[in-house]
Amino acid sequence: MSALAQARPLAGFRLHPRPRQTELLLLAIVAATLLVGGMSLGATQQLRAVTRSGGELAAIDFLPPDTQGLLVYLVALFAVHIAFVLAGRRTDQVLLPAVAMLGGLGLLLMQRLPQDLVTQSFAGTEYGLGQLQLGWLLIALTVIAVLAIGVRSDAWLRTYKYTWAAVGIALLLLVFVFGSDVNGARLSLSIGPLSGQPSELLKVILVVFLAGYLSENRALLAEENTRIGPLKLPPLPYLAPMVAMWAIALGIVVVQRDLGAALLFFAVFLALLYVATGRPSYVIGGLILFVAGAFVLYNLFGHVQARVDIWLDPWADPQDAGFQVVQALYAFGRGGILGVGLGAGLPTIGGRLPVPAVHTDYPLAAIGEELGLIGLLAVLGLYLVVVSRGLRIAAAAHDDFRSLLAAGLALVVGVQAFIIAGGNLKLIPLTGITLPFISYGGSSLLANALVVGLLLVLSDHGAEPPAAPRDRRRRFRRSRLGKARA
Amino acid sequence: MSGHPVTIQDRKPRRRRSRDIKANVFRTGIAVACAFTILAVGAGWWQVVEAQRLGVAPDNPAVIAIARRALRGPIEDRNGQWLARSDRDANGEATREYRDDAVSHVVGYSSRRYGTAGLERAYNAELLGLQGVDPLGDLTRKFNAGPDQRLGLRLALDLRLQRAAVRGLGKDKGAVVMLDPATGEILAMASTPVYDASAIADPDTATATFERLQADDDRPLLPRSTLGRYVPGSVFKIVTGIAGLNTGAIDPGTTFEEQPPAEKKGLVVEGFRVRDGHHEVTGDTALDMNAATEVSCNIWYALAGLETGGGRLVDEAAKLGFGASIPFDLPTAISRVTSGDGRAPGGFTDDAELASASFGQGETFVTPLQMALVASTVANDGVLMKPHLVTAFTGEGPGARTINPEAWRRVMSEGDARALQAAMQQAVEGKLGRQFTPGAAVDGVPTAGKSGTAELGGKGEPHSWFIGFAPVENPQVAIAVLVERGGRGGERAAPLAGTLMERYFELYGKP
Amino acid sequence: MDGFVLTLWIIRILFLLLIYAFLFAVVRVLLRDLRAASRGPAELGRLVVLASPLGEPEPGASYPLDAVTSLGRDVNNGIVLDDPFASSEHAVLTFRGRNWYIEDLDSTNGTYVNGVPVEGLGPLGFGDELQVGEIRFRLDRGRG
Repeated sequence: MSALAQARPLAGFRLHPRPRQTELLLLAIVAATLLVGGMSLGATQQLRAVTRSGGELAAIDFLPPDTQGLLVYLVALFAVHIAFVLAGRRTDQVLLPAVAMLGGLGLLLMQRLPQDLVTQSFAGTEYGLGQLQLGWLLIALTVIAVLAIGVRSDAWLRTYKYTWAAVGIALLLLVFVFGSDVNGARLSLSIGPLSGQPSELLKVILVVFLAGYLSENRALLAEENTRIGPLKLPPLPYLAPMVAMWAIALGIVVVQRDLGAALLFFAVFLALLYVATGRPSYVIGGLILFVAGAFVLYNLFGHVQARVDIWLDPWADPQDAGFQVVQALYAFGRGGILGVGLGAGLPTIGGRLPVPAVHTDYPLAAIGEELGLIGLLAVLGLYLVVVSRGLRIAAAAHDDFRSLLAAGLALVVGVQAFIIAGGNLKLIPLTGITLPFISYGGSSLLANALVVGLLLVLSDHGAEPPAAPRDRRRRFRRSRLGKARA
Repeated sequence: MSGHPVTIQDRKPRRRRSRDIKANVFRTGIAVACAFTILAVGAGWWQVVEAQRLGVAPDNPAVIAIARRALRGPIEDRNGQWLARSDRDANGEATREYRDDAVSHVVGYSSRRYGTAGLERAYNAELLGLQGVDPLGDLTRKFNAGPDQRLGLRLALDLRLQRAAVRGLGKDKGAVVMLDPATGEILAMASTPVYDASAIADPDTATATFERLQADDDRPLLPRSTLGRYVPGSVFKIVTGIAGLNTGAIDPGTTFEEQPPAEKKGLVVEGFRVRDGHHEVTGDTALDMNAATEVSCNIWYALAGLETGGGRLVDEAAKLGFGASIPFDLPTAISRVTSGDGRAPGGFTDDAELASASFGQGETFVTPLQMALVASTVANDGVLMKPHLVTAFTGEGPGARTINPEAWRRVMSEGDARALQAAMQQAVEGKLGRQFTPGAAVDGVPTAGKSGTAELGGKGEPHSWFIGFAPVENPQVAIAVLVERGGRGGERAAPLAGTLMERYFELYGKP
Repeated sequence: MDGFVLTLWIIRILFLLLIYAFLFAVVRVLLRDLRAASRGPAELGRLVVLASPLGEPEPGASYPLDAVTSLGRDVNNGIVLDDPFASSEHAVLTFRGRNWYIEDLDSTNGTYVNGVPVEGLGPLGFGDELQVGEIRFRLDRGRG
């Protein structure tokens, strides 16, 4: 029995301090940025209050609206950094700051919006939007830290891929049967006081499964075995389980009317298939499938049709169905190049936000309006940074599974950001998924924290090589081509 | 030896695999970068390129917020009579006042709750003095709508004519459009029933008024002159005449052999029987264009339409503005000759439909504005002028300017136009014609025109139509009158048109 | 307007500038990494073919090694050996810590290091000879 095969997921925590200067420098910039941003927000809010009531301009101070919360966030960031330094693993130094910047911007945004958009009571105190987002961010940071420091091996991911797939489907079915309808889509699952969106967790599970399956069967999938017309397809028995799993996931998701997740899963699936096999014909085949599927869905489902129609011409019904889309576009227009300033966007009108559900569905509209085109491009740049670091981790990984896993995780963030940004900007129909790290939502933050944590694990340059291929040995023993002569 | 075939892949070292993944990852990264570049371009589109247009859209909440504070520019008629004006109330908020119900469909309203309509909506940005958003937004200049930047509207409308039109329509639902054929300026554009725009603009009475108006089955909020679509009846014959003359299918002297015998029993076109009612007065005479127009002969015009052909009829009508929205200060509905579903040329179902469309029945729907433009074209010797309400933007803002008359296109030759003018003059002033259009002629002014009786099928009165112009030589005014369920053309529309044209000459002097 | 508004305006611009400062710093790190990566990752080791009775693979040819490389007849192996005396999944070469290890996967004909059969897992040093089936290799240090 190979000693290597006995790798355990969580090894003991060893103190081995190693400086991480790049990370420290980047975090310092993040801290400075967020503090300045907070000051800008606070001052603008006070200016607005003063202008409305006709008070004295001189009485305004440059303090963030929730200095305490902001400082707690920054302290947490540096705490995580110190923990990384102490643990001494040679993980990527850019990911944490980039994610911290995005999370911080999201936090500022949540602090700027009316705090009573979302409230929850814990132990008698009521917490508003900004504080809840801060809470979730802190939990997310903890998850990242625990993963990046504690997880030593990925055997538990790669060996049990079918188990993970089953867990994922079970989760989905749970939501389908017991979930609650919100705005016509069955996305959430409520257990007691907590509610979450399992589709966020599902995307991570899907990537784990795909990475495992594809890395094992790469060579076979890359071979052209079956031909359908001009398309070359891999041998059907090997493609079938993947397609089946994907189709089930998609079917359920479409029935739940979560179009964004369906699009995300499909795109990530195609991308990983390409990364594993390098065959563009798969991508083309997938795109054809997508177009055909979209066409069918459009004609069969009223809610799909409604979304596409509103995307094509929101001014056909600007007061009702197209209201959100139209108002978001107005917000972008108001922003211009430099934006109107954090906190200076259009306030609530008659108790209603100018852009409905801006804290979940349309955060980019708020960023576009207040930080302008410059700010919006910077946010897009931050997502590109996260994706590019993830892909770099994939390229530098020791073996196929880690490569695929890292690539899949990076793509999950990137594609999700693209889908919601595209929807906000009316480049594609609007779907209900969240903008990673910026949108309000515990499930979203936690799932994305999982992604970042895993990426950090995979980026460890001094990491142990993966365990010996026990499964392979077992499988191929059955198919050996004949005994060797003595 | 092994004996199983050795493929090339087996021999090469497997390092290629990891390199493959690296390369694929790199390519995927490029794809993601491209996708995000598209996002960036999209963002730039909305935040820079379209920012101006978005920034002045009337339902942009920022614009609405401005409108609450800023004074709007005044709207006045051609003689300087104010039609809409703004003031500040005790709280410093802007209020809007409208002078007369008669112009409410044209001027519209500006209400905090119900937004804008009519010219108030069409020229919202100018009236508020909005510069739009400068993409290089500045903190200190959020959205300056200074009083020196708002513009006022000077209309071609004459309030007195407008009032006369509304009074003339009385309790009936209907529309009147009067314009100057030589310039396209709209002198009157009335629609009844009217409503009180001031009541909508006033926040205290807005909700009650608006809800009552919306619930009213007579649909007082509908501007019938531009958005109402009606079966035209015989006034459409002028369009058929224009099409036939333009394509050479007919000329003023054309007669049809089959027309006189068909007067008794009707003309059968593919199983559909076209009937006339003037057999008693015309007997067995073959009618030419003038005579057919004078007695409003369905059979003659049906034959003329068949001779022209469906495709060409639709094409010629398109020159007059059919088939598309008319470019105008206010939104207009599309007038059509046929629904376009059929497979015969032009979209007609068959010749029977073409025949009935030729005298204005069938699937034909027109707006009163469109028919006024038909009259205006004939009156202006074949040149159709662009209709417009606004003649100038007044005030000190940077957009202040006059709007000059603009020719839209030449629809027919001068000779053909004059031929039709003669025919229409006969329809009003001829011995027989007078019986069909009583009251349309203006004393001492040569008047031309055509009445129409739009049969709607079933019980109930037909729509009463009249289009015309005066004087025939160098016309100064063209008119279209529609009275819903007003009976025959000669019953309501023709006399009303005459009255209004008379009023025009009272005010502006007879030639 | 006045000094306050000007200050606020400066702070707003400063905020945007700082976000871009972050992006520039990241880009610098990325470029630095790229330059380091283009120099090529340090090779962990190479397997040089010493002898192969069938002539395939050619003696003298060398295989660059991953951290984990499997050897055998099956096509899914890291190094595919078309030798009838090699099993489908014959052995696994692993680099751990700073040493190389060879593990025999219960092959029919066994794996030998310097002539000594390997039981399960055993160390392999640079310069050692490795025999799989009828093919003999030598483990060399990596280049670059």
